[in-house]
Amino acid sequence: MNDAKLDFLKELANIGTGHATTALSQMLSGRLFQLVVPDAQMLPFAEAAEYVGGAEQVVVGIFVVVSGDVKGHMAFLLPLDSALVLLRLLIGDNSGEMNELARSALQEIGNIMITSYLNALSKMTNLLMAPSVPGVAIDMAGAVWQSVLAGAQVTNEVTVIRTEFFADGESIEGNIIFLPDDDDFKKIARLLGLGEM
Amino acid sequence: MAEVFVNMGQISSFKTQGILTTVGLGSCIGVTLYDDVAKVGVMGHIFLPRSREKDVGAPPGKYADTGIPAMIDEAVKLGAKQSRLKAKMAGGANLFPNLSANSTSIGQQNIDAVTEHLKKHGIAIVGKDVAGGHGRKMRFFVDTGIVTVTAIGKDAVEI
Repeated sequence: MNDAKLDFLKELANIGTGHATTALSQMLSGRLFQLVVPDAQMLPFAEAAEYVGGAEQVVVGIFVVVSGDVKGHMAFLLPLDSALVLLRLLIGDNSGEMNELARSALQEIGNIMITSYLNALSKMTNLLMAPSVPGVAIDMAGAVWQSVLAGAQVTNEVTVIRTEFFADGESIEGNIIFLPDDDDFKKIARLLGLGEM
Repeated sequence: MAEVFVNMGQISSFKTQGILTTVGLGSCIGVTLYDDVAKVGVMGHIFLPRSREKDVGAPPGKYADTGIPAMIDEAVKLGAKQSRLKAKMAGGANLFPNLSANSTSIGQQNIDAVTEHLKKHGIAIVGKDVAGGHGRKMRFFVDTGIVTVTAIGKDAVEI
């Protein structure tokens, strides 16, 4: 993958995640998030499997299918500890338990963040990117990530765009990962005058 | 005892002793083949049911249709007899059930494909812990043939 494409993918991740964390920040009465420099890579399958570390760590994973002019898959992954902090701040749930209410609150948080991300990209490119109803899983990171890759039916090259974020004061961290279908990504590049990639 | 981690799409094996482990099985299937006379054990970590033309250069262990024959070849190469091989399997879960509400989940497709290809090669399935909505970790002790499966918030089971 050439540098221009890499930079372009990183810029998309920055814009998308910027909007997503702004949406989250509004839900959390203005708490500010910092974005870690986004990562964009074209990974061979074997490395994609290892891309999300800590395979046995429990995470919350929210997963959507993206349809429209640009197709792909998106996942929002956060460690269980961060999810519990979010629940405390958003719905005042201090129980530390994952009941049905907690699950649906997390599903909605994921929904809002992913929708904000895609809306930002849609506006910029004038291409439709519509998320499905999100699925939510609370399980081993490896099992969640593996199910995301299988859902995306990835082949031997996987385009991964990830941004990490964290909040000051409270320990909230997470990852938003976009797995675009390759052919559709070329559409965006052409539209933005980046030529063939 | 040596322990080897078998990642998605990989096939690994031991003769006599060793532990083959796969962590984070969601919709994937961990499959083991064991010859208890030759003490040969092979583990595969199957990603999807059928190989696809556009996936150029994929390892055989990535798909059930190419993975099961490749696992058998590996076992025979280490001195196993195909007629003595017995299989166990774990995984094939559906972590996001609302995304496959109108279709067969990938996990279930994987279970069906692995079962079909083992049957086609005359290999009996003697233990399984499949389907459901949770991830799994699978460990295969080649000296005894014992396979254990663990999941978050559940007791370990032996299959």
